[in-house]
Amino acid sequence: MVSLVIPPDIAFVVLTVVTIIGAILALQAKELIYGAISLGLSFIGVAGFFALLDAPYLAMLQIAVYVGAVVVLILFTIMLVHREQAPEMDEQKSNPESSVGLWLAGLLALAISGVVALAGTNLPNEAPSATLPVSELGPALTLQYPVPLIILALLLSASLLGALVLAKVER
Amino acid sequence: MVGLTSYLIVSAALLGIGVYGLSVKKNAIRILFAVEVIVNAANLNFAAFTRYMNPPQVSGQIIVFYSIAAAAMEAAVGLALILVAFRLNSTIDVRKLNRLKG
Repeated sequence: MVSLVIPPDIAFVVLTVVTIIGAILALQAKELIYGAISLGLSFIGVAGFFALLDAPYLAMLQIAVYVGAVVVLILFTIMLVHREQAPEMDEQKSNPESSVGLWLAGLLALAISGVVALAGTNLPNEAPSATLPVSELGPALTLQYPVPLIILALLLSASLLGALVLAKVER
Repeated sequence: MVGLTSYLIVSAALLGIGVYGLSVKKNAIRILFAVEVIVNAANLNFAAFTRYMNPPQVSGQIIVFYSIAAAAMEAAVGLALILVAFRLNSTIDVRKLNRLKG
């Protein structure tokens, strides 16, 4: 996939930058709309990671569902909700709880990275040359795991009906 | 050299960003952004581990498929809840939605 065109190391670095910067901007951008768009950028970065990990089906699904559906849904909601109420709401520069949250999140990420680095010698750092063909995925989904698929379909229709009922305007 | 650990560290960074947003932000839509970022970190973990498995296994990709579908449902229901909260309270500041507080 991507690795045929660009060397995987460079692709990895670019995707890391896009994903992390997109995620930070999604939370810190002044305007909610710009935040939603950077969130979409971050999702595209994760889709690139999936392509890099030889999972083209997941990359397509990520773009179709996240960038195509979730981000559009979020933009739609922002347009319904947004009035000029934002300025005083998201000021988090000075209050103490934001720095506590920053320290908490940073410590969590550092701790996980430390554990990963310590366990790194035991983890397989060489990807096996044999990759899974996409054609394996359909039979596995329908023959090997049919019950979760059916439950997922029921859950999807139930949640979408629930969303419709919730959003219905009562007069 | 890109190995499994690099993917895991990127995923940990995404998780940290998500936890920061979850604990600090006041706008309900921003909190939803943070949840989506955390779900993406988990998906990246699954995909990375299943790629480095020898022999290749299909189950990791299947579970990411389920996870993406579940996250889409969660976004739909969460946004509907935000719309209802906005209609009832005309704000989506979670610090002000405290009607249940005793």
